[in-house]
Amino acid sequence: MEPAYQNGSFALCWRLQYLFSSPQRSDIVTVRFSGRSVMLLKRIVALPGDTVEFRLGHLYRNGMPVEEPYVRHRSPWNLTSRIVKPGHVYVVGDNRGTVMERHRFGQIPVERIVGGVLL
Amino acid sequence: MNKKVFFLLLALLTAAVVIFLLPNDEKKIRRNLNLLADYCSSTSEDTAIAGLQKAAMAVKLCSDPCRVYIESFAITRDFNKKVLRDNLIMMKKMLPHTVFSFHDTVVELTETGRAVIVTTLSLSGKIADDRFTDAYELNIVATQTDGDWLFSAFTAVEFMEQ
Repeated sequence: MEPAYQNGSFALCWRLQYLFSSPQRSDIVTVRFSGRSVMLLKRIVALPGDTVEFRLGHLYRNGMPVEEPYVRHRSPWNLTSRIVKPGHVYVVGDNRGTVMERHRFGQIPVERIVGGVLL
Repeated sequence: MNKKVFFLLLALLTAAVVIFLLPNDEKKIRRNLNLLADYCSSTSEDTAIAGLQKAAMAVKLCSDPCRVYIESFAITRDFNKKVLRDNLIMMKKMLPHTVFSFHDTVVELTETGRAVIVTTLSLSGKIADDRFTDAYELNIVATQTDGDWLFSAFTAVEFMEQ
């Protein structure tokens, strides 16, 4: 999630963030694996029903380019358009300087989101 | 307190301690999982022979054959002990300073002699002076063979779909 969050730095997970609201685009969220000891930090870029696509590293949502001031380095990712399934959100990290195959991103079930991030 | 009550309490306490200390199936499986993590890990102090020995010890914790499913790496097949050991040795060469550890482990004994484990494998180490961390959710099947719990299948849970 660089540059917003540096590797090795601490981030506080706010588990109550989605108690009364649902995840929104641009939210930074913590995504769990089998439990809550090890988690991923990702940004939501699309919600259920949205289409997502990458063209030369630029994100397109519902066919329109998305302004992403938080992304500093972009590799020329190309990903054909796909629709986010119901009950899922599409998450990507901000550090897009790596090749697409080495970056972990995609749509995840909403239940995988543990909370938002404080600070 | 009369003698009868004292001895009754002592017997109950002894039984509780024995039950707590005796390794049950879940404890055995968790211990094997921790051993597997240790044997798969590589440190800068490990000699080449130590690496080979650790790979051999790791394979001893797995059944023959052992099934591995990692969809994103297009791996879906059975590995016999030799092939598994060779792959572990190759992995150790590729990741010479890497610590494996399991977190958030849930062990469910599904039927006699079979258990399903859901866990998170965390990797942290160095590649060419760059620190890295990675994690995978795994479903592991353990089966009891001659009293020992051996890992018979590893499946990577791919919950993120591009």
